[in-house]
Amino acid sequence: MKPPVPSAGVGPRPALLRWIDHHRRAASHSAQRLLAEPVQSLFTCFAVGIALALPAALWALLQNAEIIAGNIQTTARFTLLMEQDVDIEGARLTAETFEIRDDIERIEVIDRRDALVRFAEDIGLFELVDNLDSNPLPHSLQLHPDASLTPADLDDLAQVLTAVEGIEQVVFDTQWQTRLQAAITAFQRLTGGVGVLMVLGAVLILGNTIRLGIEARREEITVIKLIGGGDGFARRPLLYAGLWSGAVGGFFGAILVALLFWSLAAPVDRLFDLYSVDSRFTGLGWSGALALTAVGGLAGLLSAWSTAFIHLRRIQPR
Amino acid sequence: MINFERVSKRFEHHDALRDVSLEIAAGEMVFFTGHSGAGKSTMLRLLMLLDRPTSGRLVVDGNDVATIRGRRIARYRQDFGIVFQDHQLLFDRSIFDNVALPLEIAGFHPRDIGRRVRAALDKVGLLGRESANPIVLSGGEQQRVGIARAVVARPKILVADEPTGNLDPGLSAEIMALFEAFHRVGVTVIVASHDLALISRLRHRIITLKEGRLIGGVGP
Repeated sequence: MKPPVPSAGVGPRPALLRWIDHHRRAASHSAQRLLAEPVQSLFTCFAVGIALALPAALWALLQNAEIIAGNIQTTARFTLLMEQDVDIEGARLTAETFEIRDDIERIEVIDRRDALVRFAEDIGLFELVDNLDSNPLPHSLQLHPDASLTPADLDDLAQVLTAVEGIEQVVFDTQWQTRLQAAITAFQRLTGGVGVLMVLGAVLILGNTIRLGIEARREEITVIKLIGGGDGFARRPLLYAGLWSGAVGGFFGAILVALLFWSLAAPVDRLFDLYSVDSRFTGLGWSGALALTAVGGLAGLLSAWSTAFIHLRRIQPR
Repeated sequence: MINFERVSKRFEHHDALRDVSLEIAAGEMVFFTGHSGAGKSTMLRLLMLLDRPTSGRLVVDGNDVATIRGRRIARYRQDFGIVFQDHQLLFDRSIFDNVALPLEIAGFHPRDIGRRVRAALDKVGLLGRESANPIVLSGGEQQRVGIARAVVARPKILVADEPTGNLDPGLSAEIMALFEAFHRVGVTVIVASHDLALISRLRHRIITLKEGRLIGGVGP
């Protein structure tokens, strides 16, 4: 054994460099630890992935429902039946008064004769129509409201139109749209609630894993504290373990959602076609998958932080 | 360097230390001895801030340790190198990583860490074993890794609690020789040991405790 050599080399570095270095080490050490126990780590990540996949799938379904609802809304139109004694000139004048309104995008006047021809074409009974003594149909206006109007706005507009002189009847059913909107709102709340619960579930799953990790590393944490490592130094690898497990879990969740939507795509696209919805069934997409990974990572960080906060102070050197 | 001023420590059912006053100069090497339960470990625990005095004052490097709390405790402990009776090595990592731990905590550059760890392992005669797991080492070798870890960050004070407790006389003498080597380069060394035969052969102050009282401080 040789005697100690005199001091040589550089001392501790400035706080910022030290801090960065601690983080770099903690990040890679915790990743190595997770890889050293692949089965256990995969288990945790899958549990987190499943917990996050459910609200993510609901959210993506919601996006599709909103696309459909928006699509239907833009096709909404009012039919204004004029009173029988209003002639075609009167109908045109009424139409002109509507053109200055912001909430009306387009308006067309339909002559009663054209309407009868269209009616005859629709039912295929030209003879019957030809034999009519007089045209029972009034002149009418087809009114396309601005696409940005909500069901409530449409209701208000219908009220306004009904009060206009010369208009016999406003044909527009806003009720089903209101119902659709209410259903979507309910679905939004459900997604939000399930989302909060499931993220909480993921936090608890990870928290438990990290608590077990702390127990397994009790000796190491004790030694670290004895030789001058602070709570921060002992906590950092745990935070990274939480971050990695959560982020990988979130990514697994995104894959699960992608698989689910891939199996749903064909039948739902057919449904879209049947309802003449000009859109494709869309999943989370890359940005959604990235967001889910980030949510997982944040959940992991949160759970690691809170677990470490509670359990690390309990470990004190004896 | 270290001043115990009328320090007492009372645990629930007994007095571990009673009215102990003691001064240890910078660069000095001292032994604490006495039967188990005499208060040796309590002295070291107070020094490491693992316990606080019930009464009296403990001043280290000019600071009353009562003022060192919270985050400052970790920083305070970085000035110490500690050697444990059961060496407290971590068997989930290599010898190198065990010894490097205090340097990582203190924030050394990776390049310096490599150099210093090898220098410390060289001092304890284990250079070339750094990639092995400490579990494959003998008891004496493990203790030497523990010593390398204690001195790698060049602490001002080296504290050892029964460092030779589990070793045979030959290995114990080697370990003590290492401590003396650090003392010679200016480190303050405090060793708690009940191996009176061994420590009385070395020419350093021996502080004897009995039932929590100081009963003698024999000079070198």
